[in-house]
Order: sequence, then structure tokens, then C-alpha cells
Amino acid sequence: MQQDCYLKFENITKRFPGVVAVDNVSIEIAKGSCHSLVGENGAGKSTLGKILAGIHQPDSGKIFIAGVEKRFRHAGEAFKAGIGMVHQELEFCENLSVAENLCLSDLPAGAGIVNKKQLYEKARQMLKVIGAEHIDVEKRLGLLTVANQQLVQIAEAVGRNAEILIFDEPTSSLSQSETENLFRLIDKLKRKSITCIYISHRLGEIFRLCETLTVLRDGKVIGTKNINEITEDKLVEMMIGRSFEAYFPKHIKSEKGPELLRVENLSSPGKFENVSFSLCAGQILGLAGLVGAGRTELAEAIFGLDKNIKGKIYLQGKEVNITTPSQALGCGIALVPEDRKRHGLVLSMNVAENICLSILEKISNFFKSIKKRKLLEFVDKYFNLLKIKAASPWVQTLSLSGGNQQKLVLAKSLATDCNILIVDEPTRGIDVGAKAEIHSLIDELAGKGKAVLLISSELPELINLATNILVFRQGKIAGSLARNEVTQQKVLRLMAGLRN
Amino acid sequence: MLSSLKKISQTLLAKQQSGLIIVILLLAVILTALAGSHLDKTTGKTVNNFFNPHTLMQTATDASFFAVMAVGATMVIISGGIDLSIGSIYALCGVVTAMMLRHLNIDSPTACLLGIFASVGLGIICGMLNGLMVVGLEVHPFIITLGTMWIFRGIAFVMSKAESILVPGALTAFAKANLGLNPALYPVAMLVMIAVTAAGAFYLSKTVMGRHIYAVGGNAEASRYAGLHVKRITVSVFAISGLTAGIAAFMGSAYYGSASCGDATGYELYVIASAVVGGASLSGGRGNAVSAMLGAILIILIRQSIRTLHFDQNYEWIIIGAATIIAVVLDKLNAQLTLKKAMK
Ligand SMILES: Nc1ncnc2c1ncn2[C@@H]1O[C@H](COP(=O)(O)OP(=O)(O)OP(=O)(O)O)[C@@H](O)[C@H]1O
Ligand SMILES: [Mg+2]
Repeated sequence: MQQDCYLKFENITKRFPGVVAVDNVSIEIAKGSCHSLVGENGAGKSTLGKILAGIHQPDSGKIFIAGVEKRFRHAGEAFKAGIGMVHQELEFCENLSVAENLCLSDLPAGAGIVNKKQLYEKARQMLKVIGAEHIDVEKRLGLLTVANQQLVQIAEAVGRNAEILIFDEPTSSLSQSETENLFRLIDKLKRKSITCIYISHRLGEIFRLCETLTVLRDGKVIGTKNINEITEDKLVEMMIGRSFEAYFPKHIKSEKGPELLRVENLSSPGKFENVSFSLCAGQILGLAGLVGAGRTELAEAIFGLDKNIKGKIYLQGKEVNITTPSQALGCGIALVPEDRKRHGLVLSMNVAENICLSILEKISNFFKSIKKRKLLEFVDKYFNLLKIKAASPWVQTLSLSGGNQQKLVLAKSLATDCNILIVDEPTRGIDVGAKAEIHSLIDELAGKGKAVLLISSELPELINLATNILVFRQGKIAGSLARNEVTQQKVLRLMAGLRN
Repeated sequence: MLSSLKKISQTLLAKQQSGLIIVILLLAVILTALAGSHLDKTTGKTVNNFFNPHTLMQTATDASFFAVMAVGATMVIISGGIDLSIGSIYALCGVVTAMMLRHLNIDSPTACLLGIFASVGLGIICGMLNGLMVVGLEVHPFIITLGTMWIFRGIAFVMSKAESILVPGALTAFAKANLGLNPALYPVAMLVMIAVTAAGAFYLSKTVMGRHIYAVGGNAEASRYAGLHVKRITVSVFAISGLTAGIAAFMGSAYYGSASCGDATGYELYVIASAVVGGASLSGGRGNAVSAMLGAILIILIRQSIRTLHFDQNYEWIIIGAATIIAVVLDKLNAQLTLKKAMK
């Protein structure tokens, strides 16, 4: 393992108000290898990556590259030193074109004047490196899907001929085939002896890609291992600090209750067509499909976010016409949106306010002033239930780690005490332990007679949680499977448009 | 021939500015139709009350002071900020330049040159002060420039002891040069407006610095991650805004022949309205120089029509206010339409 250490962190410490995000961390990484950082939400993985990328400056400690000490005062210096980072939270200028975003730090120019032709050429080249030529470089970035934005982000880091690349949960919004592409790309990079740091909560990916890994907990190094001297179970134990049995809930025996939601021939032009299903109390209906198959759009339509829908929606047998989210919430429907940054959170508000955003009315007194005691009750409840890690309920949402932000979105929807819960990729970026707890929580909710509509791109999550699965393909329902007949194979075939 | 005409008109229509241009032309046509005419005593010809070289040039000149500042203000707005102090920078630049030239007691082309440098230089300094305070104190630009709006005008007030200061005749000769046109026409202000707009448009759309301004306004955090010097860019846009105020101040005081601390009171709101009518988004990331100039022209044209058509002048503010809101709503609808087209 000690073979020619190329990148070295030495006693790195980084404090934020109220937390030590990275605590005296030392890691050595060999050239051309892929090293993984694993740990629970808020363990300090992203922070360590950002320190290397020059975005945060360590309070103490040193970084060595090829034996030379490096100090980056800002991101630009790290770029110049050959360090690229694919960020967990997608950071873009949505008003600019894809090409400008790709080359933002280094626009091709002569005498300060941008050369459009060169710019587009360079951007196409960068996309080609990662096999994403299908993206139009002249298009405004804001018009791209999340998956394509993620690809642009990867291209931005990889296409700059970096020597060290940090991937912070790069696959969280990619489809299976795009993920495979990325893995092949990383293999290729390693052969070109580019050093990679890979952060992910998907343990399978780590075993597929990495040679070595470091487990972090509360900012401290728990251990650094070679991949072949550790098993998945052992790794989880190191991460959460106790042994860990069930990844998936036992399924509380829940009786199928009365029908809560029925959708008949629902269509929205260009998004989905003729969708019909029924959802009963105690049921978890899973929606499978590729990214872009129309699942998110369906969820948004039911939640009153789509004005162009045709078809009928019934709640407890009564036809309803929901045109705004506040109406939907009033009818007992809550949505955990797919994109937490854009739709899930008010990043400028604090943690407590975000959790209670939908129920402020309920926790206010006669004069509509918010009762702090009630607010804290809710906050405490969800901090415990979801194991949210934050310095205090009053810190800015933006200061939370990605996974903990996701937990806030869940908490906000759970706090509404709805009958019908629509969750769109609920465990994106959430660590293994917390994920299992969220799964149990969803299962419990169903057990208590709530209905859940679960959208997920992680097949194991769907298969183990859902009582029924509807498979979407290009905006239409391609098939439906009950829990006792579902297999990964069958779902994949339906997704690909093959008959079972 | 016909097909190429069609092509040209299509590319023109696709441009962001086309809506504004159409509205301006429409308003001009209506104004011409309704303005009536009078008899020119010297030539004996009937002349349209609006569509005559003199009124047109006067409208362009009136617009030019706003338009020049609007180009700078747009850059601040694109970067996600706002500059309320430009009217005061105008007044301060005018007063200081006039006092300096009076003190030096020169009246020659050199005075003109000195005046330009003094006015523009002071404008840049004021703008940089704004920018440095915004990034250094980490206070929202609205607050900082609200403060400096009073401070700069206050300084001008104290320095000039509230009196109006005459500028040397050489300056007026420059600003009112007729460049071989009819002796009663003064095109210099309009030409300066066109030059500043062209330079601003080029800077914003073609240069690296310009694109960085859009990036910071679109997402400051992402720009920081991409290694841009966000603070430097912020200071630079305020400096540019000050610079354009300096240019406008020089042109204004030269044109009118004097400067006083009360000059350009309330201009900042006209200028911001021009930028916004021109499609700049106050949340940053959107806007352009040509549209800002057109916005200024539109607002002045509306003001002009009130005068030409002999409407009650007391309604001027109500009409301009309503027109601003309508223009922004129309622009928003237009943006939604374009978005729909792009999504297809
Ligand atoms: N800008 C910031 N300001 C204040 N605190 C921060 C900031 N960034 C991170 N933190 C805190 O530092 C700790 C580590 O966060 P980090 O984002 O590194 O976690 P992570 O391991 O990447 O977690 P996740 O798996 O959820 O992405 C967290 O407690 C977080 O709240
Ligand atoms: Mg993270």
C-alpha cells in the first residue's frame, strides 16, 4: 500500500462554526489509483474533497502532491495544479450555455475576446471524452435534464486534463448505462495514471472501482484499507460504528385498506400518456423506469404542478381537480421532490424553518405567530427520527452536508402528516445506515395505513420496498408487477421494452 | 433578393431586441400621425411636430444621458447587484469637473480633454468605492449604494455650496458640435450613446470579462467553484457603472453649459427602469447593453409623446410607471414563449 505515495493529506483539520468537519485527517494515495472516501452523512467527505480542490482552506495541516507541499488559496489555483472536482451539489450558471459552463474558468480567447468557434469545439471535445456527445453545447444549461447536467459537471472536471480527479457522488442522478459509461471512463483514466478520489454511498461502486479506501466518521479517520482486505459488511460496520444486519425492512404486515388515490387515463402532452393506477391505504406503489420516462412528471402532475393534464384523479372515490401544491397539501398529498436544491429546500432559511415550512400555519397561535415550543417539538422529532446531523436547528440549511439536506426534505413532507406520500428518489445521497432507517420508516408509514408512491432509480430499493411496481417506459406504463412475482430481471426487461 | 430580405427579417425577429424595436417604431409612427404639423417660418414648409430632424435629435440627446448610464447599470444588474448611486455620481463628477476647470481657468480643447479625464476618472473611483464596500463589508449593494447615493450628492452639495457652476465654452462647443449637419442639430451626444452602447455590448457578449459577469449573476457560488475571482468581478462592474455615470456627467454638463449638485436627481430610477425594460433581470444573469439603450429610448419617447401630444404633464409619472410595468410583463411573456420553443 505504501507504494509511491503521490497525493498526501497530512493532519488536515477544518472547523466550521459548531462542527469540526475534518479532524486531523492523514491519507496517502498512490499515483494512478482510485481511492474511496466512505462514511455517514456529514462525515466530512465532501469537505475533504473541497479542501483539495481549493474551495475550502484547511485550518491546519498540509497537502503534498508528488512530495511537494501545495497550498491553494482559491479554486483557480487548484485547477492550475491539475485538480478537478465533480461536485455533489450541482453548481452551474443556468443562464449560460453548456459550452460556457464547461470552459468557465478558462474561456478560449484572444486578447480578452472570446472565440465562439474554439469555445464550442473545446466543449464538444470535453463532452466527447466522457462519451456524452449527444448534449448540445450551444443550449442553455438550465434547459438540460438533471442527468445531463451531471454529465456536464463530469465533463468539466475530466476534460481539463487534470492529474487528480475528485468524484463526489457522481452517479446519484445517472441512469444505469450512464453509470457504466462513467466506470469505464474511470478505468481508462486510471490507465493513464490519473489519480482519482471517489466518494459514494453505493458500496457496490466502490468495490467495482477502487483499490484503497478510507472510512471517515465525524471528521476522523476510522481506518484506511485495501479493497481486498475488507468485505461489504465489515465496511458498513466501520462506517456506522456498530454491526448492521438488515439492509431492508421486514415489511410490517399491512392490510390493503380502502382506496385513497385513483388515477384514470391521465396524460400530459410530451410528458406521459394514459396513466391509470389505483393506490390503497397500506400500499407502497413503486414506479420504475429510466430517467426521463415520465415518473417525476407524473408525481408533479398529481401534486398540482402541471396545468396541462387531461384525465381524472380521484381521492377516496371523489373526483378532484388539484391545480396548486397548496391544494394538494390540503387534500393530504405530500411530495418529496427529486431536486432538493431547486424544489426541496429554501436554502437561505434555517434548518428548523425548512422542516416546518409546510405546517407553519398549524404551529402558530391565534395571532398567527409561530410557537417556538411547537416548532422545536417537530424539529426534535425529525432530528431523532431521521438522524439529522446539524450544529443546531438554527444554522443555515446550506451548511448541512448533502445527505442531511436530503433528510430535511423528507422531514418537511413527513411533518405535514399526509395520507398520501409521494417520494421521488428519497434516498439520493443518503448513507447506508440512514437509508435503511428511511426504508423502515416508509414501511412503517404504510403499516399505519398511509399510501406511498415511491419513485426510485435504485432497483433494489424499489423491489424490496414496494408492494407493487409499475414500470414506465417513454411516458407509458409498460407493465405492472406484484411483490411476489417481481425480479430485477423482469423489471429491467420491461424498462427496456421487452416482453416478459 | 426577396429570400435574403426574408432571412434578414427573420434573424432580426429572432433577436431579443426585436420586440423593443417594434414597440419604439410603432410609438414613433403613432406619434408622427397624431402630432400634427406647424409652418416653419424660415423655409415656409409645413413640418411634422414630431417627425422633424430637430425634435428627433432632441429626443435622442435626452435619451443619451440615460442610455449611457443604463449600459453601466445593466452590467451591475446582470452581475446580480444594483447601483442606486449613479445619479449622485453624475452630480459629483459634473461639479468637481466644473470647479476644477474654473480653478484652472482654461478654455481650450485641452480643457475639454482634462474635463473628460477628470469626470470619467472620478466616476470610476466612486464606482470602485461602491464595489469595494460591497465586497469588503459584505453588505447588499442596495444598502451600500443607497448610502453613497446620499454621500456623493452631499459632497457635491458641500463643494459647490449649492450654486450652479458654469463650464468653459470649449466643452459646450464640443458637446454641441454640429459635425457639418444643419447648424441647429447637435449629434455628438447621440453618437456618444451609440459608441458607449456598442462598446458595452461588445464587452458583455464577446469578452471573457463580460461572460464572467453573466456567470457571477447566474450563480455566484458556481463561479467561485470554477475559479473565477467573484469579488474582483463585482468591483469591476461597479467601476464600469461609475465610469458610464462619469461619461454622462461630462456630456450633460458640457451640453447644458453648467453643473450643479442637484443635477440628475432621480436619474437612477429612470436608468434602472431602462435596464429592466430592456429585459435585465434584477435577480441577475440576464440583460444586455443594446436593450438597455433601447429601454432608455422607449422611456424618453413616452415622455416626449406626452409633451408633443399636449397631454397634461402632471400625468407623466403615472404613464411612465405604468409603461415600465407593462414592458416588463410583456418581456416576461416573450421569454416564456422563447423558452417553450427551446424546450421543443
Ligand atoms: N460551508 C459550511 N458551513 C458550515 N458547516 C459546514 C459547511 N460545509 C460543511 N459543513 C459541515 O461539515 C460537516 C461535514 O460535511 P460534508 O459535506 O463534508 O459531509 P459529507 O461527508 O460529504 O456528507 P454527505 O454524505 O451527506 O454528503 C457537516 O457537519 C456539515 O454540516
Ligand atoms: Mg457530501
